[in-house]
Amino acid sequence: MRHIVKPLFRHRMMPLLVVLQVALACAIACNALFLLQQKLVPIVAPDGVGHPDRLIVAWNIASRGAPWPTSRLAQVVAELRAIPGVTSASMAGSWPMETIAQMNGDVVSDGSRVSGDAAVYIGSHLVDTLGLKLVAGRDFSATEEAVAYKNIGINENGSTIITRALADRLFPDGDALGRVVRIGKDADSARRTVVGVVAHLMRNKFGQDDREDIDYSMLFPGIPSNWPMPVFAVRARSAAEVSGALKTMKATLKRELGADMIQGIDPAYEMYGNLRERALAQSKAAVWLLSGVSLIVLLVTVVGVMGLTSYWVQQRTRQIGIRRALGARRASILHDVLLENLLVVGTGMVLGMVMAYAINLWLMRHYELPRLPWIYLPYGATLMLLLGQLAVLGPALRAAAVPPVVATRSV
Amino acid sequence: MFDYYLRLALRRCRQNVPMVLLVVLTMAVGIAACMTAMTIFRALSGAPLPGVSPYLYVATMDGREAVDKDNPDYQRPDSLLMLADAKALVDAHRAAQQVAVAQSLASLGNADGKRSEQAYGLMAYGPALQVFGVPLRYGRPWTEAEQSANAPVVVIDTHVAQKLFGIDNAVGRSVTLGQRSFRVIGVFAPWSPRMQIFNLGQRAGNVMGQDENFFVPAQASLDAGVGPFTSGECGKGAPVVSFQSASVAQCRWIEAWVRLDTPAQVGDYGRFLAGYAHVQHDAGRFVYPPQARLYGTQAWMTLNRVVPDDVHLNLMLAGGFLLLCLVNVAGLLAARFLRRQGDVAIRRALGASRRDVFLQHLVETGLLGLIGGVLALPLTWLGLWIVRMQPVSYADAARFSPGVFAILFALSVAVGLLVGVLPAWRMCRQPPALQIKLA
Repeated sequence: MRHIVKPLFRHRMMPLLVVLQVALACAIACNALFLLQQKLVPIVAPDGVGHPDRLIVAWNIASRGAPWPTSRLAQVVAELRAIPGVTSASMAGSWPMETIAQMNGDVVSDGSRVSGDAAVYIGSHLVDTLGLKLVAGRDFSATEEAVAYKNIGINENGSTIITRALADRLFPDGDALGRVVRIGKDADSARRTVVGVVAHLMRNKFGQDDREDIDYSMLFPGIPSNWPMPVFAVRARSAAEVSGALKTMKATLKRELGADMIQGIDPAYEMYGNLRERALAQSKAAVWLLSGVSLIVLLVTVVGVMGLTSYWVQQRTRQIGIRRALGARRASILHDVLLENLLVVGTGMVLGMVMAYAINLWLMRHYELPRLPWIYLPYGATLMLLLGQLAVLGPALRAAAVPPVVATRSV
Repeated sequence: MFDYYLRLALRRCRQNVPMVLLVVLTMAVGIAACMTAMTIFRALSGAPLPGVSPYLYVATMDGREAVDKDNPDYQRPDSLLMLADAKALVDAHRAAQQVAVAQSLASLGNADGKRSEQAYGLMAYGPALQVFGVPLRYGRPWTEAEQSANAPVVVIDTHVAQKLFGIDNAVGRSVTLGQRSFRVIGVFAPWSPRMQIFNLGQRAGNVMGQDENFFVPAQASLDAGVGPFTSGECGKGAPVVSFQSASVAQCRWIEAWVRLDTPAQVGDYGRFLAGYAHVQHDAGRFVYPPQARLYGTQAWMTLNRVVPDDVHLNLMLAGGFLLLCLVNVAGLLAARFLRRQGDVAIRRALGASRRDVFLQHLVETGLLGLIGGVLALPLTWLGLWIVRMQPVSYADAARFSPGVFAILFALSVAVGLLVGVLPAWRMCRQPPALQIKLA
């Protein structure tokens, strides 16, 4: 061991540069990969919506002046539902993958005081139109759907359907059905009784915040009143019936609400699948960017370490020759070069991990980023050490191939 | 001597092409990544209204007149005021200049109604064009007399003038706005803040500034039935926003902007603002403690996170990457130089000073840096093109500019010299005798 460590201190520049390089690469790659993982969450998480190619969403619809009365909206929804080839139609205050209007609330389970930040979708017949999968309980009853809210509805009592993830969070002891969720922490906050649980439903808030709650959503039945930006959606029976339904839907909305819409902004009609693609496009672009950067960072490091080590080995050709002449075997030369690399890269890696954490702490203070999980350390370390060994393999084999006769030359 | 070093450097570059290529490419990729991020960052930083916005301040206060059950706390500073408060602040004339503005989206038509144009504009109380430095091309802004008489006058930009009348100088023509006919008294060149600055609470993720096509006195516009684009927050505890409504008497929808030239003025105005808000609170109009505060344009944008975090994070990432590339290249260059210890030893023995050796190697790395910079140019172009293809709100900011070119040139030479210092220093430190013996 001593014959490996000592020369490192005698010729400090080369190992120091390797240490610095590995440390920087480690710090950058850890943080880049962590950001990447954040961006990946909404892309890989299930959104719970069935048959996205049959769901037409109309948004960017806003009333000029006072919001439309709920009776009017209910009538429009009834007309949409009557369109041939349409199985279900909805009007809602906000919609998955549509981020202009969002409703989020800090919800608390009654009794246990466990809370979570959840998205709230208030609208009519949402389970059918979104194509959600009920895993427990039932859909809203006709009476529940016919509720008349004084306001948007978020602060009013009633029933709710929540996602399984939210149910597990709020009621860790098991069955959520029949339990009460409070919307807000105040004593007089609204109470909602859970009547059903759906498998998944993604929230429409994408930020760089904690992504554990991406699947925390709640449904409230009925039509929100006093809400100026309604979203309409219809589900077609089959993909073939979509274009016909879309045409009728456009005509219906234009006829019924067109005169009162704000001027200068046209309603947008989109298939849910496209809406989803667009909402996630930015995250996807970021994923490509970050994975590209991480890859190049690692590549540059490997090449750099390779270049430095091959010089370092070449520089000591004569010493290696002497050792070989004195009886050292090829394997032990190879072993020594690899071990040396392990030491240098290991030092750089430890330094890099500390740097990665320091950077992460700084980012946490200034941006909405969570803490770097510890799990990154062993993976990052293994990856870095393996790459280091890979980079040094070529030069090490060359060193091992030095014939003992070199020792007798050029002295 | 420099000339000789340059020729020497070129000769050496030809000797080991793969190595040189590696060094140059690494530098180019690092520089290009950094330049791409920097271009976007530069486009999104700096004053949104150059020369004007550094002196502009927006007034914020909790001006709610009713108890709001949904939001009892004043969680973040709010710039939306009721028209009465905005008017009071403007009419007080306590700042160098002051104006109240609100975003509007309305249809402008010509007199016979045959041509019309949907346009964004600002409803204003006060000398908006003067405060924001809007370049007036023809005519004049409205006067205080016209404003107090609610005269139907409007100032449009050349874009709208062309659309409606086919000419730039539309002064004296009539424009239909809502239910009234407005007289065009001025025409300005197309104008937009570089980034969003108005009504930041409801900007819906937009980053780049909005083209403002017209300016109209607020009260005259309301009289014609044309309200602000969003009516902001309307009393009675309802957090509901309504659009384009002219019934905004109960709403907080307009922002007060003031120009203050010196820190002393800022301090004075801050006290005046707090005093005004307290009087309203004490009189029972404002139900919550008003927490009135002035924000400079830049601070206001930072607080409302106009520039997305990603832009900052990407710049840091690119900076870190460039640093890694620098260390990498420094290492490669050190290895490359140290292989030539023999040559240097002979030069030293023949009388070259340490300084000569140092300079020779620095010229070589400077040259490599320059080549890297030249290669980085198309790569930066590519990077910016890729960003423009992305569905991000600041895609428009990713444009190549001469300023960027100058930075790129300086950066590449700096990078070349920086990475060369350590290896060159290492080279000139070797004692000549030992090197000759080794050679």
